[in-house]
Amino acid sequence: MKGGGLRIYTILYLVFLYAPIVLLPVFAFNDATIISFPLRGFTTRWFAALAELPTLHQALKNSLIIAVSSSVLATVLGVFASRASTRYEFPGKGGLMGLIMLPLVLPEVIVAMSLLMVLLGIGIDLAIWTVILGHTLICTPFAIAILSAAFQSLDRSLEEAAWDLGETRLSTFRLITLPLVMPGIISSLLISFTISLDEFIIAFFLAGSEPTLPVYIYSQLRFPKQIPAIMALGTILVALSVLLLTTAEYFRRRGLKKTGAKDTGGFL
Amino acid sequence: MNTAPQAAAAGIPRPTMIEFRDVNKYYGDYHALRGISATIRAGEFFSLLGPSGCGKTTLLRTIAGFEDISSGAVLIDGKDMAGVPANLRPTNMVFQSYAIFPHLTVAQNVGFGLRRKGGTAAEKARRVTEALAMVGLAGYGERAAHALSGGQRQRVALARALILKPKVLLLDEPLSALDKKMREQMQVELIRLQRQVGITFILVTHDQEEALVMSDRIAVMFEGQIVQLADPETLYRRPTSRQVADFIGVMNFLPAKILTEAVGRIAIEVQGLGRAEIDETQAPGPITGGEISVGCRPETLTILYEGQTASDRETPGTVEEVVYYGDMTYYDVRLDGVDSPVRISMRNVFGRPVLDIGTRTRVAWSAGALVLFR
Ligand SMILES: Nc1ncnc2c1ncn2[C@@H]1O[C@H](COP(=O)(O)OP(=O)(O)O)[C@@H](O)[C@H]1O
Ligand SMILES: [Mg+2]
Repeated sequence: MKGGGLRIYTILYLVFLYAPIVLLPVFAFNDATIISFPLRGFTTRWFAALAELPTLHQALKNSLIIAVSSSVLATVLGVFASRASTRYEFPGKGGLMGLIMLPLVLPEVIVAMSLLMVLLGIGIDLAIWTVILGHTLICTPFAIAILSAAFQSLDRSLEEAAWDLGETRLSTFRLITLPLVMPGIISSLLISFTISLDEFIIAFFLAGSEPTLPVYIYSQLRFPKQIPAIMALGTILVALSVLLLTTAEYFRRRGLKKTGAKDTGGFL
Repeated sequence: MNTAPQAAAAGIPRPTMIEFRDVNKYYGDYHALRGISATIRAGEFFSLLGPSGCGKTTLLRTIAGFEDISSGAVLIDGKDMAGVPANLRPTNMVFQSYAIFPHLTVAQNVGFGLRRKGGTAAEKARRVTEALAMVGLAGYGERAAHALSGGQRQRVALARALILKPKVLLLDEPLSALDKKMREQMQVELIRLQRQVGITFILVTHDQEEALVMSDRIAVMFEGQIVQLADPETLYRRPTSRQVADFIGVMNFLPAKILTEAVGRIAIEVQGLGRAEIDETQAPGPITGGEISVGCRPETLTILYEGQTASDRETPGTVEEVVYYGDMTYYDVRLDGVDSPVRISMRNVFGRPVLDIGTRTRVAWSAGALVLFR
């Protein structure tokens, strides 16, 4: 049959990609401490068990603080950088943008190690804010990629029109630019938030005594008894990530529709 | 209020509204505006006409304040605009893309410029309603701006710019995005609107026909320079260079020689046409020292049918090409003794046949319709 090989390849690919994720909720609702088939019956007790883990709650709180802070920081930096790179020509622009985007392709373990060495070198104690620093660094390129698209699809004469009609540069930014790139900003916040929430290596290196959720999960894997609860936690996280990314894409597309621009691709 | 129309009606010259004093503009190494000097009068419908890339938009943007100039001065109503930002200039602009704010309603777009003006909300709303009525969009106030058609966006852009009663309205190719029918309709509406409000309109266009139809005066630009500034009729009948003659309408060029030049009269010898005497006003351009040629418009040449005689002069020739347009027929006729054919436009009348290719014919012309380029 024509294309049969390709079809089998595609199916195998999808199975390998998604089977582990599908197994997560399967075992999260399985009434057994041991992760194996056959399944033993339906239960929600692993989800209930999550409520009784104070260290988990602390890790969740840390993760949320870090994710919110670094997504806001990355987005603010992203707004400045993409505004500058789409509107102005300046010497060394290409190289500078390349440097800013570099963490996108740099191995995270390298970024984490070098950050750790610098921080320890200048004698700074590891804390939540050192993780925020690292996460801002890796989220900013994503924020710039999203926001550059938003700024690029913004017709430059819209800002000139507002200026021409008596508004200052600053009020033009507030009245015209900001509302029109808002979908991009929301999308950037959500994606940066998701990246930070899931990130393990930098958090592992820089968190000190304040573990984030992924670091906590990793530490719990040593205790077999905890594994079903971790499965439940993982299920919640996957659902949350999908929800956030879908929302981000929804805002990105709505923004395109509103300004009538063509879709130049996104992350989804 | 604006008294320019009355002043013009009384025969008093209109006061100057815009003055360019040797304006130069560089983009890096690129010399985009090369020593522009010109004045635009109050209440005038003025056009900047030229091919794409000649600097029309750049010149318009120096008036609006979007573009800093490298040297020279731009004066609006007698005041030097150096250092005055766009938001404080008495000009408003209709952008080529219309630049309608997509996240606002039609009424919010039109009333945008009133945000910083005094007056009650009710009065502002009244002015918005008035402005919308003026451009034929009464009742459209609550529509979302991004759902409008091209023609409607254009009207919103006009209303939004005119509501502030600027001294000068700047229009950057406002009709280029519309289809032919809509464009012709908007041309008429723009002329009517300009007469109604009496504001100085400065229109940028690359469409010579549009400029001729709409303007009181036209500045023709090539490569960052104004090469001729005149009213439409002068521009069409007395272009000062072959370049302008070629850009505006169709012009036939025939090689020529100057025989004698007496006071006010020039005797010339034109290839194909022979000797003729013309007035010195028929040589409006400067002496360039280049090739000498004579220009004549297609409608100043007439094909003579059997039994017809020329009222002035005639020359024999052969029909080489026929293009039938319904109301008009364009003929390319090779005059005896000339290398390339001339174009002749003839109005089709009932009972007169369209000539075939290869027909021998006679072409009537008049020395008074020639233009000399030297
Ligand atoms: N911001 C800019 N930077 C560099 N060159 C420009 C810029 N704007 C316009 N130009 C150049 O200046 C010339 C005139 O442009 P423009 O005024 O837009 O022409 P027109 O409106 O007559 O088509 C063009 O060659 C264009 O490439
Ligand atoms: Mg232009």
